[in-house]
Amino acid sequence: MRRKIARRFASNFTLCGLVLFLFAGLALAEVPEPQDYWTGALHGEVPQTLTGAKVLHTDELAALLASTHLVLIDAASFPHKPANLDPGAVWKPVPHQNIPGSVWIPGIGEGHIETNVEAYFRDRLAVLTAGNLDQPIVFYCHLQCWASWNAAKRAQSYGYRKIHWYPDGAEGWRDAGNTLTTAQPESVPQ
Amino acid sequence: MFCSNRRFFLMAGVAAVLNAGAAMAQEDEAARKARWQDLANEIFGAQPLLDGTAKIVLEAPDRALDAALVPVSIRVQNPQEVKSLYLIIDDNPAPIAAHVSYGPAGDPQSLKLRVRVNDYTYMHAVEETQDGALYETHRFVKASGGCSAPSGAYDEAALAQIGEMKLRLLGEPQTTGPVREAQLLIRHPNFNGMQRDPQTQGYTPARFLKTVDIRLNGETVLHLDSDISLAADPAIGFAFKAQPNGKLAVEAKDSDAQTFKREFALTESRS
Repeated sequence: MRRKIARRFASNFTLCGLVLFLFAGLALAEVPEPQDYWTGALHGEVPQTLTGAKVLHTDELAALLASTHLVLIDAASFPHKPANLDPGAVWKPVPHQNIPGSVWIPGIGEGHIETNVEAYFRDRLAVLTAGNLDQPIVFYCHLQCWASWNAAKRAQSYGYRKIHWYPDGAEGWRDAGNTLTTAQPESVPQ
Repeated sequence: MFCSNRRFFLMAGVAAVLNAGAAMAQEDEAARKARWQDLANEIFGAQPLLDGTAKIVLEAPDRALDAALVPVSIRVQNPQEVKSLYLIIDDNPAPIAAHVSYGPAGDPQSLKLRVRVNDYTYMHAVEETQDGALYETHRFVKASGGCSAPSGAYDEAALAQIGEMKLRLLGEPQTTGPVREAQLLIRHPNFNGMQRDPQTQGYTPARFLKTVDIRLNGETVLHLDSDISLAADPAIGFAFKAQPNGKLAVEAKDSDAQTFKREFALTESRS
């Protein structure tokens, strides 16, 4: 049924969709992989690739989750309360939602990482993979989010050989009809 | 038999999936309602929020292409009764995006802002009337991604122009009568404090517009209170009771206690 609706939708909007798709394609093609880590704003257009890693989209991630033991790492940032916010301002971040079974390690996707955060990240990877450099690991955060790209690149530099990057993020997972779950961050050193 | 059984199971399976989806959506909707109740309590206390769907038109794209720059428009049908307007983005970490109070030279009929939106969220427009009643309307907005009031890249060169302003008068005076609409653009990064500085490696300190005051010949048009939910380079569309040869004075203050001032003479030339 869903497919039928989708088909009707598609035929109605083929032209419009095609034009949008072309524009989207052009926009995406314009983002090259940076040489090093991405140090700009974490929210923004991301490349379509990560050299040395396999890019997964939702169907592939679902298939892999069903067939393989994966270490799923959510690299989304923790909302950082500005110190100079008005004392009377309402500050209420919504509970973070991610893919069930994930480990949420905020801060590992920053362009520059503090030494203690990096040490924490390395240790956690070693534990989560039981020291197996061939353990498949998937990094994700949000749509248009560089944090998982940086974190995945970083994990490669530690010698992990089966790194996957899921750029669709928690939103892509949910939009495909899958559930998300409320998550707690690991207590990464500040 | 086998075949019909299989069809039965298949249909049951499909129904189960659909039901699960519907249940999920219901749960989600309940959580969103609870969030709003919680916010409304915190912002407006015990005061009831009346149905404002007949009074307020809140417009925003159903699906925004850039979560860091989402255009929003609030139009009210009863401008003469309105004291102030709120724009609340439920799922942003600092949900009150803007609170605009109007003075005698202002006209609350139209307010346009560009905001940051955290993923999928309800947005509420609330009008406070002169006699103290509150009316609300809302809509659901899907922004692609978005990480906690996402801020996109901000050009370093643009920082040098911080506080520069432009004013555009909209519409023709002979067709719009004494009330004119205008758009004020203020150069300001409106850093939300969630970005890292590549040089210092620390968080770029939040720096955002806290207030904007617009006066016409010394009379208040509007006063805006805001913080990190306004997009970089804030654009404020507003209406006011124009006067020939009037002067609009704008004073904006940011969180670094810096004040930016500019006066605009209202000649009919367009910039």
